[in-house]
Amino acid sequence: MNRSAPAALALRGLVKRFDTKVAVSGLNLDVPVGSFYGLLGPNGAGKTTTLSMAVGLLRPDSGSAWVLGHDVWASPLQAKQLLGVMPDGVRLFDRLTGPELLAYHGLLRGMDPAVVDQRARELLDVLALADAGRTLVVDYSAGMKKKIALACALLHSPRLLVLDEPFEAVDPVSAALIREILQRYVGNGGTVIFSSHVLEVVERLCTHVAILAGGIIQRAGTLDEVRGDRSLEEVFVEVVGGRTATGEELAWL
Amino acid sequence: MAVTVAPAADRVTPPRVDPPRPVRTRHFVRLKLRLMGNNLRGQAWRISLFVLGVCCGLWYAVTGFVLFALPALADEPAWALPMAGIGGGLLVLGWLLLPLVFFGVDESLDPARFALLPLSRRTLVTGLFAAALVGTPAVATLVATAGLVVTAGALGGWSAALVAACGVVVGLFVCVAVSRAVTSAFATMLRSRRVRDLAAVLLALLAALLGPAQIAVINAAGRVDLDAARTVARIVGWTPLGAPYTAGVDAAEGRAWAAAVKLLIGAVTLGALLWWWSRSLESAMVGAASGGPAGGRSVPGGAVAQLFPRLLSWISRDRYGALVAREARYWWRDARRRSNLISIAVIGVFVPVMVNVGSRGMVDGGDFDASPTVLSGSMLFVGTLAALTLANQFGFDGSAYAANMIAGVPGRVELRARAVAFSLYTVPLLLAVSVVMVFFLREPAWFGVAVGSLLASYGVGLAVNMYLSILGAYALPETSNPFAINTGAGIARSLLGFVAILATAVLGVPVVVATALLGDLWLWLALPVGAAYGTGAALLGAYLAGDVLDRRMPELLLTVTPRR
Repeated sequence: MNRSAPAALALRGLVKRFDTKVAVSGLNLDVPVGSFYGLLGPNGAGKTTTLSMAVGLLRPDSGSAWVLGHDVWASPLQAKQLLGVMPDGVRLFDRLTGPELLAYHGLLRGMDPAVVDQRARELLDVLALADAGRTLVVDYSAGMKKKIALACALLHSPRLLVLDEPFEAVDPVSAALIREILQRYVGNGGTVIFSSHVLEVVERLCTHVAILAGGIIQRAGTLDEVRGDRSLEEVFVEVVGGRTATGEELAWL
Repeated sequence: MAVTVAPAADRVTPPRVDPPRPVRTRHFVRLKLRLMGNNLRGQAWRISLFVLGVCCGLWYAVTGFVLFALPALADEPAWALPMAGIGGGLLVLGWLLLPLVFFGVDESLDPARFALLPLSRRTLVTGLFAAALVGTPAVATLVATAGLVVTAGALGGWSAALVAACGVVVGLFVCVAVSRAVTSAFATMLRSRRVRDLAAVLLALLAALLGPAQIAVINAAGRVDLDAARTVARIVGWTPLGAPYTAGVDAAEGRAWAAAVKLLIGAVTLGALLWWWSRSLESAMVGAASGGPAGGRSVPGGAVAQLFPRLLSWISRDRYGALVAREARYWWRDARRRSNLISIAVIGVFVPVMVNVGSRGMVDGGDFDASPTVLSGSMLFVGTLAALTLANQFGFDGSAYAANMIAGVPGRVELRARAVAFSLYTVPLLLAVSVVMVFFLREPAWFGVAVGSLLASYGVGLAVNMYLSILGAYALPETSNPFAINTGAGIARSLLGFVAILATAVLGVPVVVATALLGDLWLWLALPVGAAYGTGAALLGAYLAGDVLDRRMPELLLTVTPRR
């Protein structure tokens, strides 16, 4: 870790076992302040496990996670103040309407009610959720749920945004909107780390990339460092060890 | 591809496709057994729950067997028909109602998972039906009703026993088919979330009324004589409820034609049920339709004003207030929670009325008078029961609880807010119960004892259940079928509930003892002392359990997140 300016997110030696399966085995990662970091990996690589340990939702078997110099597991309150999180596969409090959910998250973060009102209105307008009115979040479409979850993560203007699969099940229009908001957030000095297995999105958005496979970081660095003079897809497939061509096996297709 | 002239046929051989092998019933049964086996693998507590379930099933099976065989064992042939008709009828009714109300259906073979497979409806229905026969309840039912074969054999020899055996098998099939057909039809009817929520509440009401009905039946049973029982059994015996089970008795008593017709009734019923099930199965396979975004009206007021219900306008607009407001909304909007509230309301009024008023008039022997001690004891029960609703309070939230963790809500604030929000509903309810009780007993002076005992036991119960909700939480399934529960969860739920009731009762007993010992003085002291005891216990509970919650948040989240 850099002494003068701590990394936005630093993971040290994270290990997590489920029963007998090792999901994450000794993972180290530094996310510099102001970077737009893509965490790539095939299905089951341990992306969600890693991010859950980084934000304090899942207790690691060993290792530590630091948010802007605060230990997530030793001093969680300071670390969580600086964090905005959008978990994947986790329910929202979906028996609330969109505005109610935002108000809940805002007050839970200790924000001033007037500020919550103002920001909630702006977020709902920008994300095109203002029309939903009294509709409960449980009745939202998948894309709308992603957008309201993002709004909840952004509401208290965190310094670090951790997003698990923000572009999954989102239509192209909403995806473009989310991309624009995230780029603006990074432009204003925020840091984003998000997981994905869509290489195109990562290649287009990110300044930094890490490739996670088999529970450890295989490659990490700026986008150019990682891909060199090849395409990101080639590097990814090579690192993950998938096969690029099919031989004789599928002749019946 | 051209068929007549194919000059290139020797070069491009079309891929050879084997005709698909037919899917048979045994595949479904094997799949079910494999699922049950995998569910148990490597988890000691699951295995012990399973064993416990089997033991319960065995207990019911043996009891039922003895009851059904009793007319033969005790040499009372006149009771054979009432036993078979009424007992069998109740059994079918149980299979019809209990899955809807209490236990849910074991949906490990969810029809929706077969939607994409090329299976004919006939194959699917027979397969799923056979798989449904594999399980503790079905085996227990079969063993229990086997007692009928003994009775029929003793009364009418081998031929009657054979007829009874056929009847028992047909009866079991009817039981399983009726439970499947009805739950499937309900799940189809309840495709929109709103209707589903409403139905869940209605069923909760029905469930809560089962208790009173049971006691009424037992009261009636005390006065029943053999002739009346025989008449009822004769009528029930000609309905699908009792037909298959009474066939053996008819054969034993020499009415072969009646036995044949009754077996036929059972078989026709079975066919009709399976046909009905197969119809609703198709729509169940498509899954629940989302209603889509409803009303597009925008709401006046800011987001924060919308979160707080109008009755909660007095609460502070901060973290604690937000938690209380969200919980208060959830107790009303979440169907699972709302049905719990309704259960408390019904049981809370009914049980004390039965115990106190009933002890005067309805039960024989009027020498047992209602007293403040009896009142206090029954109130202890109601308060305990009300607090028990919170035993799995984090399970209601499921993975949504992650939001509170990410925001770093301290455990003490969390627990205090949850208890307060729940009390917004329960405390007025408990006060109402006290008023009703005092009114029924015509003893206004006992009001203080009633309220004091209620608040004391409720507060103690809150404290106990705070611990339980952290240490004994379990996941509730996220499914479109409101009747589904996880395999084994029913037993876990009742075990934990028992522990909580016991602990609460022990801690609440001092109030009852004080009522018994202190006499008239206590009539005045009960209210302030009870309220202080309850409030103090709840606050202390939140304070102590809050620390536990702070340490165990990630583990708690893991246990309440449903496995997929």
